[in-house]
Amino acid sequence: MANTLLSVGIDIGTSTTQVIFSKLTLEDLGGRFTAPNIAITKKEVIYRGEIHETPLLNHSLIDTQALCVLVEGEFRQAGFAVGATDTGAVIITGESARRENAAAVLQQLSGFAGEFVVATAGPDLESRIAGQGSGAQAYAQEHGLHVVNFDIGGGTTNVAVFDCGKLTATACYDIGGRLLKFTPQGKLIYLSEHAEKIAQTIGLCLRVADTPSLADLRALAQAMAQQLEVNTCELLTPNSVLLFSGGVADCIYRTGHELFAYNDFGVLLGQAVRNSRLFGYQVLAPQETIRATVMGAGSYTTTLSGSTIGYTHADLFPLKNLPVFALSPQQEQDAFDHGKADDFAHALCDFVQQTDANCVAIAFAGKPSPGWQELKRLAQALQQAASQAQLDPNIPWVFLAQHDIGKALGLAMTPYAQGRAVITLDGIDARQPDCYLDIGKPLMNGQVVPVVIKTLLFG
Amino acid sequence: MNLTTTLHGKSFTFRDVKDVLARANEEKSGDKLAGVAAQSSLERVAAKQVLANLLVSDLREHPVVPYEHDDVTRIIQDGVDEQVYAEIRNWSMAELRHFLLDTASTEAMIRRISTGLTSEVVAGVCKLMGNLDLVYAASKMRVPATCNTTIGLRGTYSTRLQPNHTTDSVPGVTASLLEGLSYGCGDALLGLNPVNDSVGTMTEILKRFAQIKQEYAIPTQTCVLAHIKTQIEALKQGAPMDMIFQSIAGSQKGNEAFGFTTQTVQEARALLKSHGTSRGPNVMYFETGQGSELSSDAHYGADQVTMEARCYGYAKAFAPFMVNTVVGFIGPEYLYDSRQVIRAGLEDHFMGKLSGVPMGCDCCYTNHMQADQNDVENLALLLAVSGVNFTIGVPAGDDIMLNYQTNAYHDAAAIREVLGLKPIAEFDTWLEKMGITRDGKLTELAGKPELIFGR
Amino acid sequence: MTQEALVELIVKAILEQTQSVVAPAVKDYNSGGLASAPTANPHTSARIGVGRAGARLRTDTYLQFRADHAAARDAVYNDVPAELLQQLNLPEFVTQCQSRDEFLTRPDLGRVFNEQTNKAIAAHNPQPCDVLIYAADGLSSKAVAANLENILPVLTESISQQGLRCGRPFFVKYGRVASMEQVAQLTGVKVVCVLIGERPGLGSAESMSAYMAYAPTVGMPEARRTVVSNIYSGGLNAVEAGAYVAEVLGRMHREKKSGVELNEG
Repeated sequence: MANTLLSVGIDIGTSTTQVIFSKLTLEDLGGRFTAPNIAITKKEVIYRGEIHETPLLNHSLIDTQALCVLVEGEFRQAGFAVGATDTGAVIITGESARRENAAAVLQQLSGFAGEFVVATAGPDLESRIAGQGSGAQAYAQEHGLHVVNFDIGGGTTNVAVFDCGKLTATACYDIGGRLLKFTPQGKLIYLSEHAEKIAQTIGLCLRVADTPSLADLRALAQAMAQQLEVNTCELLTPNSVLLFSGGVADCIYRTGHELFAYNDFGVLLGQAVRNSRLFGYQVLAPQETIRATVMGAGSYTTTLSGSTIGYTHADLFPLKNLPVFALSPQQEQDAFDHGKADDFAHALCDFVQQTDANCVAIAFAGKPSPGWQELKRLAQALQQAASQAQLDPNIPWVFLAQHDIGKALGLAMTPYAQGRAVITLDGIDARQPDCYLDIGKPLMNGQVVPVVIKTLLFG
Repeated sequence: MNLTTTLHGKSFTFRDVKDVLARANEEKSGDKLAGVAAQSSLERVAAKQVLANLLVSDLREHPVVPYEHDDVTRIIQDGVDEQVYAEIRNWSMAELRHFLLDTASTEAMIRRISTGLTSEVVAGVCKLMGNLDLVYAASKMRVPATCNTTIGLRGTYSTRLQPNHTTDSVPGVTASLLEGLSYGCGDALLGLNPVNDSVGTMTEILKRFAQIKQEYAIPTQTCVLAHIKTQIEALKQGAPMDMIFQSIAGSQKGNEAFGFTTQTVQEARALLKSHGTSRGPNVMYFETGQGSELSSDAHYGADQVTMEARCYGYAKAFAPFMVNTVVGFIGPEYLYDSRQVIRAGLEDHFMGKLSGVPMGCDCCYTNHMQADQNDVENLALLLAVSGVNFTIGVPAGDDIMLNYQTNAYHDAAAIREVLGLKPIAEFDTWLEKMGITRDGKLTELAGKPELIFGR
Repeated sequence: MTQEALVELIVKAILEQTQSVVAPAVKDYNSGGLASAPTANPHTSARIGVGRAGARLRTDTYLQFRADHAAARDAVYNDVPAELLQQLNLPEFVTQCQSRDEFLTRPDLGRVFNEQTNKAIAAHNPQPCDVLIYAADGLSSKAVAANLENILPVLTESISQQGLRCGRPFFVKYGRVASMEQVAQLTGVKVVCVLIGERPGLGSAESMSAYMAYAPTVGMPEARRTVVSNIYSGGLNAVEAGAYVAEVLGRMHREKKSGVELNEG
C-alpha cells in the first residue's frame, strides 16, 4: 500500500522566485509482521518551473500582484489546479524576508497554494532546506560523513552542517551575488549596505553610478570569500566535505562566465570562493545549485509523525501555527517520577498568555521504552498543567513526544480528557526556541500525520 | 524386490521403498516429527541392509511422490539419460556405492553415471555412506558453473558475502560489504537477504552492488534474495541483476507453498537471459534445506534426505549457478543438534554434487539448537576438504537480520590458508591487486576496508 | 664470481635470514598491524570493524560473540521466573511437552494440553468475554520477562476502554503460537492474542511477538493470523506495542476477521 502526496515548493528569494512540484511517496516499511512504520520513501520532482526574477515594486516592497500572476502561471504550466496540492511550503528567503510586505506576501500565496501549505521563513530553516535540496544531507547520511552545504544566493549565504545526515549547525551571512548590481557595461547601479561595509573594511569606497575597477571588485569579492572562510572555520573539520548551492554555485563550479552576465556580483564572488581556502577541503558538486532551496521547500519541509499515534477525531486536522511549549528535562523527569506538573504548569500558563494562541502544543522527549506506570504519571502531570492553563475546552490538547510513545500516551490520557479532544503524536522533536507547528490531515489509513516544524512565523 | 531382512536374529519387514528410504536415514529429529524414522538403531541398520540390496531400478520405479501428481518427479524422471540408466538399472545400491568410492572410478565416469540416476537413487546411496565416505566421494566430483565468473573449479574455495541489515539500509549494507571484501570474501556472490521484499528496496541495493562492483572492478556477481516474483518485476523495471534466486522444495506442493511454480522459474530464467547483466550461462540461484517440505506438509510421508535430494534433481533442470543448502536454519525440530547438522551438511553436499548441481552450504545454526560456532567451523572445514563450491561469510559470524549464525568473514581466509585453497583465479588476482592478500595470505591491509577502499 | 665469493654470499644470506628468525620485529599485538580495535559504525549493528588475529577473530570479538550466544541460549532454555507470574497473578498452564527439549523438537505437542489442563483453562475464564490475552514462553523466556509487565496492563486497560470484556490472562509454559487454536476452542472466546517470546538472535533475546486471530481453529491457514513482532526496548517498546495491539484486537472484534483479510480491509 502506498500513498502519494503532491507537494509544491515556492521560493521567493532575494533575486529569483521559483516553483517546483514534487510527488512524495509514502510507504509502510513495517512489513506484514510488525507495527506500521510509515516513511516518505520517494521524492520525485515532477515539474521544475522557470527561474523568475523576484518582482519588486521598489527596494523595500515585493510586487504581490505580479508574484501571484507568476505563481499562478507556473501552476497552469505544470497542469495543476490551484489548491490541488496536498502539502508543501512557501518560503521567503534571503533579503526578501526582510522586505516590509514579506508577511503579507506569504499570507496571500499560502492561501491559494493548498490547504496544508506552510508559509514560512527563517534563516535556520533556509539553511536546512537548502542543504537538503542540494543533496548534502543525503550524501552525509549515506556515506557517514561530515558535510557542509553553502547555499550562496543573491542576498545571503546559508550554511548547514550535516554530521552523518544529522543537522548539527546552521549559520547565515549577508554575502550574496546581488549585493551589488551593475549595468552590462559594469556601471554600479546598486550597492547594499552590507557590501558597502565590507568594502570599507578593505579601504574601498564604492559609489553607485561609478564604474569600479575590476581590481577593486576582485578585492571586494575576495574579502567576502574571506569572511565566509573565517566565519565558518569553527563549523568545519579537516575531513569535512563541502557542497555549494544557490545561484552563485554555478559560477563556482563552472568557469567561463562573462563577468557581468547576470548584471550582478555573482560571477566575481563565485570566482573568489573558488580561489579561497574553502576549496582546500574536499568539494563535491551538489545535485541542485540554484534550485536547492526550492527543492528543499517542495520535498523536505514535510515530515511524518511516528506511525503509532493517538488522536480522538480525524477532523481535528489540519492545525496550523501551533506555538510549541517545551518541557525541560528536569520538568519531564519530575512528571515521569511523581506525576506532578507544579513546576511547569505556571510556565505553561504564562506561555499561553504571551503567545495569545488558542491552541498550543506541549513538547517533551518521552522515553524510548517507558514503563506503563511511568507513562500514567506523565499523563497525570500533563493533565494537571493543561487544566491549569485553562485552554479553551473546545480545542484539542496537543502533545508531542520525540520517542515512540504517542499511542500509549493517548491511552493514558483518556481517563483525564473527559470528552475533550486529545492529540498525542510522537517521532517529533519540537523542543527548540520559537518553534511553531503545522499538522496536516491523517494519511495512510489514518496512521500518520504530516508535520511541518517552523522556527519563525510572520503575522 | 526384497523388503525383509533379519538382523541379530530379529526380522524386519518394510512397507515399501519409501519406508526403507526413511528408516535407513541417519537419525534426524525431523524424521521423528514426521513419524517416518526408524524406531530403533537396529531397525535403522536393517533398513540400510535392505536398501543396499535394492536395485537402482527399484528406486527409480518407486518415486516417493507419484509422477502424475508432481512436476518435480516428472522433471527428475524425464531428465534421466535412458542409455546410461539401462547400463546400471540392475546394479544393487551397494554396487553403486562401491562404484562411487572405487579409486578406479574417475570424475568423468562418475559424472556420466550420475546422468542415469533419479533423486531417490542419489538419496539412497547417501544413506549407505558414512561421513568420511561422503567427503571422499564428493571430493572426486566438481561441478563448476559460470555466471560472470566461474566457481567450483578444483583447488578453489569460494564464498557468498552476505551483508544483511536489519532495515536494508544502503550505507549499513555497504559497510558490511566492504568489510567482507577486505577479508577476501565474495568471489561466489555478493548476496543480500532483504528484510523488505519490494522492488524498490531490492533495486536500490542492487544498484549499490553494481556501483561498487564496477568502481573497484570486482570479478564477481550480485543478487538480492527477494521472492522470485519480486525479482521478475525488478528485472522488468531495469534493475541490474546477474542472477535470480528462489528457495525450492522437493515437491510441487512444497514449491507452491513457497509461492511459485515451475513456469515462474522458467519465466524468470528466460527473462534474466535476455535482460540480465551477467554473461551466463548459469543464472539461477536456489536455496534448500532438509525439512522444508515437512514444514509445509508437502513431504508425502517421505524422509527429509530424500526430499532434499529431489530439490537437487529439480534444480539441475535449470542449470543453476549456485545451490545453497541452508543447513542449520530450520531449527531443532528438523535437525536437533550439531551432530545432525554436520551430517546433513555432508549429505546435502554429496547429493548435490552427485545430482550435478554446483553445491554450496550455509553452515549455520539458530540459538534454539544444540549447536554453536565450533560446529559450523567444523562443518565448513569438512566441506572445504570435500570440495564444496562455496560457504557463507557474515560479519564475525553473526547475521543481524536473519538472527542466526554462520561462518565469519575470517573463516574462509583461515580455511584457504590451512588447506592451501584459493579463491577463483580472477578474484585472487583482484585481492592481490587491492593489497588484501599476498601469496594466499591476508596482508596488513586486510580487515581495514577504510584503507583499501578509501571509504 | 669465484667459488669463495659465492659461498660467502650464500652464508651471508643465510645469516641474515637466521637473524630475522632469531630476532623478529617486535609487534604490538593489541593494535596496529595485527589487529585493530573495534570501531562502531553508525549505520549498522553488524560486527564490523572488529579487526583480526591472523585469519581469526580477536580475543575480545570472540568472547563478546560467545557471551551473546550464551545469553541467547539462556533465553531459550531457562524458564520464565515464577515470581513474575506471581506478581502479575498469572496461573501457569503447561502444554503436553514434558521438557524444554521436547518442546523444541515437537512443535505439535506445544500446541495442545492434556485433559486436566484443558478443564483448568476453561475454568479460569468461566464468564463470557470478547478478547482473551495470554502469554507463552515460546523460544525466549527472557522476552516474556522483559516485556510482559508493561504490555499486559496496557492491553487490558485499552480493551476495557474500548468497551470490550477482556478475559483473565494466564501463562502457558512450553507454548507455541498455535496453542491459541486450542485456547479459543476451550474458552469460546472469539478474539485471542498470545504474547510469545521470539527466537533470539545474538543482538537481543528480549524480542516478543503478539500473535492474534479471530476465531482461530485447528488447521486454519497461517494467513489468518495477525502478527506484531519486534516488541522490546530496541524495537517497538512494550507500552506502545500494547496500545497498538489493543487497537488491532478491537478492530478484529468489530470486523470479525483477522490476518490478511483484516489488512485488506
